[in-house]
Amino acid sequence: MTAKLLMVQGVNTIGSPAPALRTSEDRDAQLMLRVRDGDEQSFGVLLEKHRNPVIHFVFRMVQDRAVAEELSQEVFLRVYRSRGTYEPTAKFTTWLFRIATHLALNWLRDARNERSHQRLDTPRNSEKDGELPVREISDRTPSVEQHMVYQTRLQEVRDAIGLLPEKQRAAVLMHKYEEMEYSQIASVLECSESAVKSLLFRAYETLRARLAHMVTGAAR
Amino acid sequence: MICPLITKSGAHTDLLLDYTAGRLDDDERIRLERHMEECPACASFRMEQAAVWEALDLWEPAPVSMDFNRRLWQRIESAVATPWYRSLAESLRFANWKPLIPLTAAVLVIAAGFVFDHPARRTAVSGMTIREADQVEQTLDDIDLLHQLDAVVLPASGGSKTM
Repeated sequence: MTAKLLMVQGVNTIGSPAPALRTSEDRDAQLMLRVRDGDEQSFGVLLEKHRNPVIHFVFRMVQDRAVAEELSQEVFLRVYRSRGTYEPTAKFTTWLFRIATHLALNWLRDARNERSHQRLDTPRNSEKDGELPVREISDRTPSVEQHMVYQTRLQEVRDAIGLLPEKQRAAVLMHKYEEMEYSQIASVLECSESAVKSLLFRAYETLRARLAHMVTGAAR
Repeated sequence: MICPLITKSGAHTDLLLDYTAGRLDDDERIRLERHMEECPACASFRMEQAAVWEALDLWEPAPVSMDFNRRLWQRIESAVATPWYRSLAESLRFANWKPLIPLTAAVLVIAAGFVFDHPARRTAVSGMTIREADQVEQTLDDIDLLHQLDAVVLPASGGSKTM
């Protein structure tokens, strides 16, 4: 086992970012530098590119569409306001998601006391009109029963993520949906890479336990 | 038996997570698959993690409002036109102030104590009192001196009248 462990440890390198990603990051930094020099069109390009990932991340964090859009607007407003002092010392997306995470965590902290009585499994009004049936089960229109099963499963997933501690939730969302590397998640959350791995391990462990019934159904 | 790859710290679990996420290169993936053929713990972990991964795929976010960009540009334009103090207030709107409340209260109490019990203030008050006392004493001395002069002058003038 030890030999196997060493063998596996030997390949335990995520490696540097892919060249395409690095080019993309350079391009983001270049665009932001142009924004610093007064080019508003470049800000529009950055907005178009990063708007959806930021809104989706914040939405999954706060699970409220209106709040997610409000907070996301604040993220981009802060980016715009900081254009004069921008220096490309870190990845643009790291900076962007750090602002987004900071705002989302603050909002959750403020809302925690006010809404502690609210059950998380109650669907929120803003999501009823905001959340569409997200994945088609088949090409044909799903039956009512299929739709209900899908909605139930989706609600279970949302509840399972919503009940995670906030930092674990942020780490999982960045890892799973934004496909960020451990080092970048660590930079966003301002902690060490090993702390991120530990956060993710505990978060996925909890999710495996909470979604065990779905797991057994899906994995076999 | 628990495989050392599955640890609480998550130090090595990232391999299994990356495998599920499809982020391992071919060499890493093949080595891990060989390991999992002989390690039921890792094989089970991989299967459960894959199912969680699939469940999480169910959750796609709500579509973004059509007027998101327009509202943002409006906010940017108004932010540019807004005086600096309003911009500051707006940017502080999302700040978490709650931890600052006890700190601010403590600073105010200390500041009040400093203002009302400052040595300079004490010295100033006592300094005025001393000056006033000196003036009163001086005045009393002057009055006393006048009385003495009166006492000396009046008998002398009375004597001359009797003569």
